Amino acid sequence: MSTEAVLIAAAALFGIGVYGALSQQSFVMLMMGLELMINGAILALVVLWARAAGGNPQGQMLAIVFMTVMAVEMALGFALITGVYRVRRADITEKLRRLKG
Amino acid sequence: MNVYAPIQIALPAVALTLALGVYLVAVADRVMAGVIAGSGPELRAAMLTPLRGAALAFLQWRRATERPDAGGWALAPALLGGLAAFALALVPLGPGLVVADADTGFVAFSAAIAFVMIAVYLHGWSPNSALPLHGAYRYGAQALSFQIPFLLAMLATALPAESLSIVRIVEAQATLWNVVREPVGLPLYLVVGLGVSFWGPLNMPDATDLAGGTSAEDSGVARLLWGAARASMLVAVAAMGAAGFLGGWFGPFLPGPVWMILKTLALLGLILAAGHLLARIRIELFVLVSWAILIPLALLNVFVSGAFLL
Amino acid sequence: MIPTPLVDAAFFVFAAGAIVTGYRVFRTDSMVRAAFYLLASFSAVGGILVLLGSEFLGMVLLLMMAGEMLIMAIVMVMYMMNPAGLNPMTMVHQNRVAAVAGLAAFLALAAVGLLGDFPDRPAPQPALATEELGIELLGDSMLVFQTAGVTLLSTMIGAVAIAGRRGRSGSAEDGSIEPALQPDEEDAA
Repeated sequence: MSTEAVLIAAAALFGIGVYGALSQQSFVMLMMGLELMINGAILALVVLWARAAGGNPQGQMLAIVFMTVMAVEMALGFALITGVYRVRRADITEKLRRLKG
Repeated sequence: MNVYAPIQIALPAVALTLALGVYLVAVADRVMAGVIAGSGPELRAAMLTPLRGAALAFLQWRRATERPDAGGWALAPALLGGLAAFALALVPLGPGLVVADADTGFVAFSAAIAFVMIAVYLHGWSPNSALPLHGAYRYGAQALSFQIPFLLAMLATALPAESLSIVRIVEAQATLWNVVREPVGLPLYLVVGLGVSFWGPLNMPDATDLAGGTSAEDSGVARLLWGAARASMLVAVAAMGAAGFLGGWFGPFLPGPVWMILKTLALLGLILAAGHLLARIRIELFVLVSWAILIPLALLNVFVSGAFLL
Repeated sequence: MIPTPLVDAAFFVFAAGAIVTGYRVFRTDSMVRAAFYLLASFSAVGGILVLLGSEFLGMVLLLMMAGEMLIMAIVMVMYMMNPAGLNPMTMVHQNRVAAVAGLAAFLALAAVGLLGDFPDRPAPQPALATEELGIELLGDSMLVFQTAGVTLLSTMIGAVAIAGRRGRSGSAEDGSIEPALQPDEEDAA
């Protein structure tokens, strides 16, 4: 399990996430793309903590901050989906041509 | 200090414990039903009926639904049973007698409990049928509500141990058991115990008003396995409750592992009796009580146990 | 200690699993299945984190994602078309651009991973990682930790304000009609 191999796996997860976030129409699927991107980022971060930081605990700390970002993204994302659905009956991005009130 | 038992000992030990536990749950449940109904224990019938039922399940024909997710349907009972085995592997039977003494035992156990939601949802969703899906969503509402009180109740046991390791949590109870130190913890934990195996008053996902809920479309061996997985979850939860709140292997006169088994059996009996004696709780009420009463209560429990440590 | 070839084998299984299930998320025709695949991908990454000696983070990732996937499934039933998701559907736009962007991101990051010169300073004792993290959380990094906590609190308040029954977007009772199948249907009506 070399550092490079883990980093390449992380890059692959991030790349798939980019593809998903750009290509999906449904809000929920789009969020899954974002999640995969953060997933790859956490993996890269932890391997660098384990292999290149000499065991500095702040590396793990940063990963926890990333997880917070993920939780915030999910919570606000679902709240916005709910809000948008109430006003526009929209469940896909194409319905949001006009972003006004 | 991570100690893991070698796999050739660990696997048979966990499998044997679960198999015995599942059979015991089936027998005890029938005995209790007889006692509570007033028709007496009927021990012989109670011991034979589960075996006969299991044998019959192998002869039953497999029911099919339209376009099911076959993989998910087959995976769900295995996932639930696997989670029970995973949780049980974290529980120490005596000093040094543990399959996996992980540093993060508490978090690992919580993760297993969280994955129960996934197993139940998968089981209800994969047959592609209306009643199982209803059961799955009922469980979603129920499980998301009891997760947080459960985490907080368990967290309070990690405070006096100053560790997330289950072995250390037991060791911290050498002088005073957690059930005395934090009396609210065990009742809160037992609510979850009923919830993760959706037993008795919390059996909404597999309820009879949905013709069996998530297992409405199950038949034959699949149904048998799902029942066994539920019962093994019950065993794992009772064992963890004995370790986390009833002082694990500590007790006078008898050797440690015997105490541990006795305590587990006591908790198991309590949960099974609750299944027969308490009425089912409506989901709206349960969700309201979980969020508005159990969470503040669990928080208070954490604060009080923290204050005692200062 | 677990022998290294075993760790290597486990890593390759987990990594391949994470990537394949991650890819299947956007290749399956059912949203619920997509959520399960995403959870599988996260579980495999959690496994790699444990292998790397970060037991706590791996377990917390599993704990978090299990709850999140269930919420995702509930949101799907609330708002999305085809909620139970066992009927085929594809909902994709700008597929080619997205594929190129994804591939470019992968190649760029993989190049950084391969060509970058990272110092070789492995963490000394993986078994102590959990304890160290705990001391760090409530010691030097207390401010960061608390900031994360306050951020989560404000997120909760914000999410409730946006999605609440009498949030800024109108009454919740209006929201029970299923969305139109065509994007412009409601504009035409």
